[in-house]
Amino acid sequence: MRNNLFVGHSFVQAFMLLFFFCAPVHAGQVKVFPDAIELQGRGELHSVFVALMQEDAVIGDLSGSASFVSSDEKIFTVDPSGKVKAISDGEAILNVKTKLGDSTARVTVKNTQAAKRISFENEIIPAFTRAGCNSGACHGALAGKGGLKLSLRGYDPAADLFVLTRQANARRVDWAKPESSLLLEKVSLKLPHGGGKKIPVDHPDFNLIRDWISQGALPSTKVEPRIASLEIIPGKLRLKPGDKLRVIARAKYTDGGIRDVSHWARFSSSEEQVATVDQDGFVNVLGNGEASVIALFGNHSGLGAIVSPYSNKLPSDYFAKSLRSNFIDEFILGKLQELQLPTSGQASDQEFIRRLFLDMAGILPTEKELDDFLKDTRANKREHLVDSLIKRPETTDYWAYKWSDMLLISTRNLNQQSVWAFYQFVRKAIADNIPWDKFVHSILTVKGSNLSQGAANYFVLHKDVTDLMETTAVTFMGMSLTCARCHNHPMEKWTQDQYWGMASLFARVGIKNGESLNEIFVETYPVGDVLHPRKGIPMPATPLDAQSMSANSPEDPRDVFSKWLTARENPFFARAIVNRIWRNFMGRGLIEAEDDLRATNPASNPALLDALCEDFIKDGYDTKKLMRKIVLSAAYQRSSVPNSMNESDDRFYSRFLPRRLKAEILLDACSEVTGVPTPFNQILSRAGDAKTAYAGYPNGLRALQLPDASVASRFLDAFGRPERAQACSCERQQDSSVGQALHVFNGNTLNEKLRSRDFVGVKWVGENLANTKIVERVFLRALSRKPNDGELARFLKIMGEADSKDPKARQEAIEDLVWAVLTSKEFVFNH
Amino acid sequence: MIRIDAKKGPQFCDGFSRRDFIHAGSLPLLGLTYPGFLAAKAGASTEDNDVNCIMLFLVGGPSHIDTWDPKPNAPEEIRGPFKTIQTKAPGIRITEIFPKLANHMDKVSLVRSVYHTASAVHDTGHQMMQTGRLFSGGIEHPHAGCVVSYLKGQRGEVPSHVLIPKPIGRTGGNLPHGHTAGYLGKQYDPFILDADPSAKDFKVPDLLPPDYITSIRADRRRKLRDSVDANVAAFEKDSKSKQFDDNFNLAYKLMTSPKAREAFALNQETDAMRDRYGRTRFGQSCLLARRLIERGVRFVTVNMFETVFDEITWDIHGSRPFTDITEMSRLVAPNFDQAFSALMDDLSERGLLKNTVVTALGEFGRTPKINPAGGRDHHPGVWTILMGGGPIKGGRVVGESDELGYAPKTRPILPGEVAATIFKVFNLDPHHELPGPQGRPMPLVDFNLNPIRELF
Repeated sequence: MRNNLFVGHSFVQAFMLLFFFCAPVHAGQVKVFPDAIELQGRGELHSVFVALMQEDAVIGDLSGSASFVSSDEKIFTVDPSGKVKAISDGEAILNVKTKLGDSTARVTVKNTQAAKRISFENEIIPAFTRAGCNSGACHGALAGKGGLKLSLRGYDPAADLFVLTRQANARRVDWAKPESSLLLEKVSLKLPHGGGKKIPVDHPDFNLIRDWISQGALPSTKVEPRIASLEIIPGKLRLKPGDKLRVIARAKYTDGGIRDVSHWARFSSSEEQVATVDQDGFVNVLGNGEASVIALFGNHSGLGAIVSPYSNKLPSDYFAKSLRSNFIDEFILGKLQELQLPTSGQASDQEFIRRLFLDMAGILPTEKELDDFLKDTRANKREHLVDSLIKRPETTDYWAYKWSDMLLISTRNLNQQSVWAFYQFVRKAIADNIPWDKFVHSILTVKGSNLSQGAANYFVLHKDVTDLMETTAVTFMGMSLTCARCHNHPMEKWTQDQYWGMASLFARVGIKNGESLNEIFVETYPVGDVLHPRKGIPMPATPLDAQSMSANSPEDPRDVFSKWLTARENPFFARAIVNRIWRNFMGRGLIEAEDDLRATNPASNPALLDALCEDFIKDGYDTKKLMRKIVLSAAYQRSSVPNSMNESDDRFYSRFLPRRLKAEILLDACSEVTGVPTPFNQILSRAGDAKTAYAGYPNGLRALQLPDASVASRFLDAFGRPERAQACSCERQQDSSVGQALHVFNGNTLNEKLRSRDFVGVKWVGENLANTKIVERVFLRALSRKPNDGELARFLKIMGEADSKDPKARQEAIEDLVWAVLTSKEFVFNH
Repeated sequence: MIRIDAKKGPQFCDGFSRRDFIHAGSLPLLGLTYPGFLAAKAGASTEDNDVNCIMLFLVGGPSHIDTWDPKPNAPEEIRGPFKTIQTKAPGIRITEIFPKLANHMDKVSLVRSVYHTASAVHDTGHQMMQTGRLFSGGIEHPHAGCVVSYLKGQRGEVPSHVLIPKPIGRTGGNLPHGHTAGYLGKQYDPFILDADPSAKDFKVPDLLPPDYITSIRADRRRKLRDSVDANVAAFEKDSKSKQFDDNFNLAYKLMTSPKAREAFALNQETDAMRDRYGRTRFGQSCLLARRLIERGVRFVTVNMFETVFDEITWDIHGSRPFTDITEMSRLVAPNFDQAFSALMDDLSERGLLKNTVVTALGEFGRTPKINPAGGRDHHPGVWTILMGGGPIKGGRVVGESDELGYAPKTRPILPGEVAATIFKVFNLDPHHELPGPQGRPMPLVDFNLNPIRELF
């Protein structure tokens, strides 16, 4: 009788207990989460989760049908739902019986003798937060509500304590008769309360607040443990649609203590189409795929992963046999196996070369490049193709444009000279393949003239210290800290103090006029502060979660920040750039959006992201090596044609995701196929509402070679070119619109190219090229393939209806042919 | 100007035989004699009994205390600088900065107790007021006008939901604003005008083909385009490429329909009519909205501003890049006052008001206490919206805010209830279920929310 065996506290029994719990769990077994519970103080509660296991995975919740018995009710009691309650010090066993098997958990109870001091910060504020009292819509609003103002979600405990216990002649608490305190009468609606009944009289939190008042409504002590982390148990669940269960949120404290805080945490789901979660942690699985259940508590977040595999029946060796070319494929296939998602086939050579050219260099392969590649018989010819393309100037153009988007290089905010200086700095860094950490370091620590040191324009663009710090965080860490400017970040652990500590690192950037009209000098002042708006004092300059600079340090704070940012150990820096580059090629970031990295926005394949980052750092932050590995993976080279089992997958890379060509690439491709370059001869005013003639760009310059985003182009605007006004990937619009369709139908961009004297069709008519040959060449130039028989027949028939003796009619037919191909989905999408 | 320059009669792929394109220069001239105008009118809003809606979105969030919920008895730092005036509706007083509106209060009702509890940024309010819901968990809900498009379809050749002049842009929160069809799919997105109707050379960008593209050629282009199909399998399941094609088809419909083009021809309105609405972007947008409704568009969304930065808007924080109370009263309020009043008069004179609901709403109210910069900040705790026309009764006040304008005092109303009211106007069951993401049923508004019955 196992149950009796563990009653008592002898060393031997504890040892046997340990032995028992180390035994491996087999399929179909029942397991209790957590298997060890420590309760501090009389009355402390903790729920358990009774899991049905299959190998290491939790596949079901038996908590609802299980029966629970305490081995010693003098130590702890347990209610029918499995919630245990501390009674007195000691150790006992929770026995759990289910139809599918039995299990146990060890319960240790401590400190029931000592009078427990209720913690203002660890208990009272969480109770108010859960009830919504200090939310932005209630007393947490900037102006408070009804004369009571609390800090938003309790970020300022000292102020809250003052407000609750001292302000308004201390009328909110009644020391003599705690249950009659104004604040309790309000929350329980004994007195009229605009917010309604928030905490009923019989609620545990009502009693908690009452007891806290009767203890004297004291603040938290300096030695009190603080919350260190938050977790959801079970941390990973493999479920199916229709499953319903409840997860538990547990907080770990700095003294090692662990508490069940499910009743105070806020739960949300990252993918409500896969699973929803309610305020008490009840999860409802609705679809297939993956979702994260997110718990937020006291500025910490915890994540639980829910995997809901697709119901595909794949052969057991399917994934073992799948094509893999490097470590990327191991991780992707691992994820696909877990989800039972089969892959699409591999892309053909024609598909691959077009795809690669567009993603890597923003250009189409020429007829000759295509032909050479198809004739190449080397086994590793794709590798050769990648290696030659990655060195080409067009690749430099493409990435210079992309980083110029990111760095907001535009005459919208800079003058022409500065734009050129900044752009040339970026372009040269890419041409020289400067490692990413060195590149970023050279921007962040730049000193001198913005005309000779192009990077200095970064500081010209962001003169305001909060703008500078926030933009830097988004650009190089993919992270938004903006919320923490005014209060602690609601979705992240960052506090307002940390925000202003970061801001202090940028407080000494000096900007002064140079020798010419357009010149500005960037330097570092020996002193300079930025004040915390609430505290009215400067915070010590401190990178996130790192050591503060000492006040009299001779170092330039920008150097300190940059060293911290680009250090190998920095958890944000490599992730941000790896995710951006990954998204460029794979069509969807491992984290979406690409600049929304935060603890509560998990990656679709966290292990892959970690491995990519590690590899990237090992390669010395070499972005081109990373690009090379990505495009050589089998995952990048998959066909975009879905099969019946993976067509709903848009994030696990079981197939190549088709994506519309970016505005600039599409325009360049139209120029390339028609043989008619786009004139860029007007620039927009700063407000974007007026145009002026500009003759600085030579004819034949491609859109991707423009240093500036403020060049007038209706086509680029219609297709969603970013304005480069704020650091946000959301600036680039990738959706289709009626306006785009109307522009290619009726607008002058494409129509003028087709009517130009330089149009390639004019030459073909002059050479009297046969229709068959013309159709073929248009297809090769635009789609990197020949027309199939059906297409050729249809095209010839339609073109044949034009009078072949009349050169004008023939010319117009060719114009229409090219128009049709250039507006087809196959052309407009990379696939 | 009508040219049939082909040996065969023009045949369009979709089976319709159409007149040749009307070319850009000839449109106004032709419009005057075009018999289709009356036909359009007959075939439009008066044909079915369906009601239409014009939603005037007051981007920035008007201060309720300085506009339609004055607090004359509150302390000075709350009541603000404006006096109140009597309106045409007995017992309803608004501030003096809307003298024209005061004359129309018999046609419009006020809901003075709208509130929301999400974070006090513009974007959340835009989402809730346009869709009835706050976005969460990656689900984007459809704009009320897109729901109408989805459930009622297009009337004739004009789009069913038009957004003028542009979608709401940057307002600081970096969240979607709720102007799209969300999970219903891009084919139900509004037709976005993307041009300023008050501009001298206003026309819908690229609505008409250049004169050298004849109908024969346009048709040939379409046929050829459809013939590129070898890789169709890669795309047929792809939502983005489907959206691309849908937009092509819609564009084609628009450019080949004289009726649709005529609906946008604002230059057919007389100078007097254009002056009546005010020659501002918002004024001319309201006029265009009336013109579109008259020609069969079911839902028109007019955004009064595109952003709240560096523009004089309702966003009266008091310091740059925002607006202060004085600028609002000098520039924003008169602009609204004139356009809104003209719209109500014009609709009423044309007999359109009886089946057209006009609502003017912002994303939140503003803090009752004037801030140190002399402005007011975001306050979703309570604010006022306007509604009139169609089955909505005028001259009423629903709900009230407390004495200081902090919170609803009676009849608190959530954005979802405003949306439910709009759906009811269209004769739609507010709890009708839409196919949500992955087939999950999604009621138009949550089951606990109902239309504001006091308005009917």
